[in-house]
Amino acid sequence: MKVEFINPFVTAAYKVLEQEAKTSVRRGELSIEKTAVTSEDVTILIGIVGGVRGMVLYGMKEKTAKAIASAMLNQQVLLFDEMAESALAEMGNIISGLATIDLEKAGYICQLSPPTVVYGRNTMISTVKIARLIVPVHTDHGTITIHVALSETGKG
Amino acid sequence: MAKILVVDDAAFMRMRASKLLTDNGYEVIEAENGLDAVEKYKAERPDLVIMDITMPVMDGIEAVKAIKSYDPDAIIIMCSALGQQAMVINAVRAGAKDFIVKPFQPDRILATVKKFLA
Repeated sequence: MKVEFINPFVTAAYKVLEQEAKTSVRRGELSIEKTAVTSEDVTILIGIVGGVRGMVLYGMKEKTAKAIASAMLNQQVLLFDEMAESALAEMGNIISGLATIDLEKAGYICQLSPPTVVYGRNTMISTVKIARLIVPVHTDHGTITIHVALSETGKG
Repeated sequence: MAKILVVDDAAFMRMRASKLLTDNGYEVIEAENGLDAVEKYKAERPDLVIMDITMPVMDGIEAVKAIKSYDPDAIIIMCSALGQQAMVINAVRAGAKDFIVKPFQPDRILATVKKFLA
């Protein structure tokens, strides 16, 4: 997998988190893993098909999920209800959507699946044969770890 | 008071857009998918529609085509996370007047709405 695939997602995450979650953002070190992801409390999954195919995951602690949803909704989220879930899922959707604009410019036109939210720590999520590029993104609300597992389909 | 139909499958986005528009003096009705939007358009005849693209049951592009065939003068603005050029072209071909890429800036939404309702 090309290391460049992760940059559109990190750039988009900066923009969306700064604007929607009203936070400063700082990226951590890039790493690559081939083993399954061990989930954090909340993980947003979005499938990608087209010029590249695979999955993008946004993992975070429950505390971070609530803080981000609170910032997006402009009200304190104590219980992670349907509206908080919708806000967080939309955050993943908008970050991924923005990233596809850069992927299109690089020659990869792709489509997104609707977001899925996985609750529960220590679930193993395997992207099967596709390695993951991982970048932690630190915000005032806590860290969101972005995992990008994409492979080229060869059709461009 | 102008009436605006906000169409998005994400409850969060409907709430955000509705609050912004009602705070600025517009009447807002909501729909959560394309089919719901077409039915509400016919029943309520809003002055303007803000339409998401990726939705269950009927997507935003199909809904634009259906609304435009019912009312060729309908003013529909797309508001989607899918800002790829191919998608923007599809939307405009279907009859959308403008395309706003999420995350939307409140000022951009208001300026666009004002422009078309002037």
